[in-house]
Amino acid sequence: MPGEIDHTLVNFLKVVRGADVRVSVAESLDAVEVANFLGWEDRERLKQGLGMALAKTPEEKDRFDAAFDAFFSAVADATDDEDGEGREEDADSGIGGMNADGVEDELARMLLEGDQAELLAAMEEAAAAVNLDQIRFFTQRGLYTQRILRQMGVEGLDAAIREAQAQPQAGGGDGQGQGQGGGASQPGGQAEALETARARLFEMARNLVERRLSLYGAETTRDLRESRLRRSRLGNLDRRDQVEMRRLVARIAKRLAALHSRKPKRRNRGMLDLRRTMRRNYANDGIMFDLEWKRKKVSKPKVMAICDVSGSVAAVARFLLQFLYALHDILNDVRSFAFSGKLIETSDFFERHDVDAAVDMVMNEVGYMPTDYGKSLEDFREGWLEDVDKRTTVVILGDGRSNNTDPRSDILKEIAERSKRVLWLNPEPPPLWGTGDSEIYRYKPYCNLMREVNTLQHLERVVNDLVRVVKAAS
Amino acid sequence: MQNQASAKLQDIDAITSGFAELDYICSRSIATALFIASNLGKPLLIEGPAGVGKTELANTMAAYVGLPMIRLQCYEGLDEAKALYEWRYAKQLLYTQILRDKIGEVLGDADTLKSSMARLHQHSDLFFSEQFVAPRPLLKALREEDGCVLLIDEIDKADHEFEAFLLEILSEYQVSIPELGTIKAKRRPFVFLTSNNSRELSDALKRRCLHLYVPFPEASLEQRIVRARVPEIADALMKQLVAFVQGVRELDLKKHPSVSETIDWARALMLLNASELDGDLVRETLNVILKFEEDITVVDRQALELVRQAEKAAPVSAA
Repeated sequence: MPGEIDHTLVNFLKVVRGADVRVSVAESLDAVEVANFLGWEDRERLKQGLGMALAKTPEEKDRFDAAFDAFFSAVADATDDEDGEGREEDADSGIGGMNADGVEDELARMLLEGDQAELLAAMEEAAAAVNLDQIRFFTQRGLYTQRILRQMGVEGLDAAIREAQAQPQAGGGDGQGQGQGGGASQPGGQAEALETARARLFEMARNLVERRLSLYGAETTRDLRESRLRRSRLGNLDRRDQVEMRRLVARIAKRLAALHSRKPKRRNRGMLDLRRTMRRNYANDGIMFDLEWKRKKVSKPKVMAICDVSGSVAAVARFLLQFLYALHDILNDVRSFAFSGKLIETSDFFERHDVDAAVDMVMNEVGYMPTDYGKSLEDFREGWLEDVDKRTTVVILGDGRSNNTDPRSDILKEIAERSKRVLWLNPEPPPLWGTGDSEIYRYKPYCNLMREVNTLQHLERVVNDLVRVVKAAS
Repeated sequence: MQNQASAKLQDIDAITSGFAELDYICSRSIATALFIASNLGKPLLIEGPAGVGKTELANTMAAYVGLPMIRLQCYEGLDEAKALYEWRYAKQLLYTQILRDKIGEVLGDADTLKSSMARLHQHSDLFFSEQFVAPRPLLKALREEDGCVLLIDEIDKADHEFEAFLLEILSEYQVSIPELGTIKAKRRPFVFLTSNNSRELSDALKRRCLHLYVPFPEASLEQRIVRARVPEIADALMKQLVAFVQGVRELDLKKHPSVSETIDWARALMLLNASELDGDLVRETLNVILKFEEDITVVDRQALELVRQAEKAAPVSAA
């Protein structure tokens, strides 16, 4: 039954995409080829084979393996029960405790006979008929459960229940008289049993829908959540979102890296340098034998990120730094500094440890102190101002709230004069700039650009622009 | 020849044991990858840390199927002249000189420029024909009569442009040379690509390959590898050694020792006639498995502890 297998595989590919593994059309064709070649008997081998065709990074491999196990255990449930096993228990068809002789309705009969395997098979069939694998949103759960039940003929069952309930009033049914079981001899018992069975059926359908939703709906659920995360304030994320957010940042950073790492081949050689050619060829009697070309200078861009790590700014700082270090392939010289009460260089933390550990270390060093912009800028001037040169882009992240101390904007002026450009990212929305102890407008004249940055969307845009200008300048 | 080769690839267990005979101990996933890639005729992209035997895998494959191995080492600035083909300019020049008289003869009675041109055109592109092509690894691989094993090593070191250039070869097993037309492979080569992941490869390239990730091996597999490569080593020492290296891999280091370093270390210890690990011996030979001063300091501090653990893993039989 090749048709059915393909259907299973197509569903599986959907699940794999849902698990955040990128699968192109060509790769799905490869997967089909691999599956046909290996066959479906040896599951471990199939897993390895499909993994090779579909998952192309170690992270994707992990996600693929998880998806494979989840999917095939679900499918195995369905098919194992479908073929055999359960069927042999047919002999104990009375297991439901009910004799179904008098019941016309097919579904009711199945329920009463308690043939779990047959029931599951019927439910799978109904699920396929109503296209349960199209389920995308958790709001569709009720709808699909109802559809499955209807497909299985729950209306007939309801009618049967009503009929059974009506029977005791009619004074005992002749149809039930033949029942040998103790329970069935009481006419009311059957109605009750049917009611329980119906509840159980509902439960089963609901579970099935839940399971399929977690498989097939994963992708859309994630998309929804991500688009929400992109727009929500970085300052007030709850813990669960933090993890998700870090993954999202990692992914976006990777995309930006891919986007910008493609550098157009710049020719090292420019136009003919006539002056130098002539000078060089004096020895040849002025015949231009050795040509001298103008060369393009390749200058390496440098980025220095100075981050305020106090209070709400810290959340943004974490993600900004994650971005910058994820892009270290492109921005080959990134240095970072963190400050609140004082300023320290943090490049080392980020180069040696992963972002989370590094952020924690930074917080231990300088976090939880009242912000003092003046002191921090002084620290920077003392220690690192001499490293700022004409190729350096200085990125400052902070709200400019200096607790009424001297903002020392003169130091920023000095930095601006030495550097290529100064970008200031402010987590506060513009209306709040300059209110209270905010000194942001004292700094603004020395910045080439000042932007509001407090969501991932802002951050992505800023980093993208940053990489572009930095690269273009090189 | 090819039939013989493909006959050897019909069974995963046969591959595993065949490779073992050639002293390459492969895990189940590696054998499966070889099996699928060779039977479906797909290139195999192998990623993993340096020194886990990615290149060696291709070498062993060539030995196993008995086909020549053609290797293309990638580096920054590699271009098609070095990878695919080049014209033999010197030969072309030489021939024009030698054939000068002949050309004169051919053109002898043509009196106008136009008619001499027409005369020349009657002769096909003499100087841009197969005889003047200097094949480089890729073209060689396509022309190999019986097929071959083509290893494109460290593709991550090459430029993006080169990656794009490989796409035609990887999907169609053919290349287009403007002057000669399209050259198709006589036999599909077994293509291996390796990458140390120093940069992200393009999706287009990954799409065309099956992907195999080779991690550091588990202790038992590594023991078998060391045993195969350094057969004269004593059992206890070998187990201790592997346990020690596995322990070192748990530490936070700049560069973790890989299989090739384990093997080097085993050989070094054999030279020193060591029969078991001890603190001093480890300290003196640490530079074989660790390549950074900082890493050596880190491990040095914990050497005794690691040796103790290693001894626990493989107690030396009553000496």
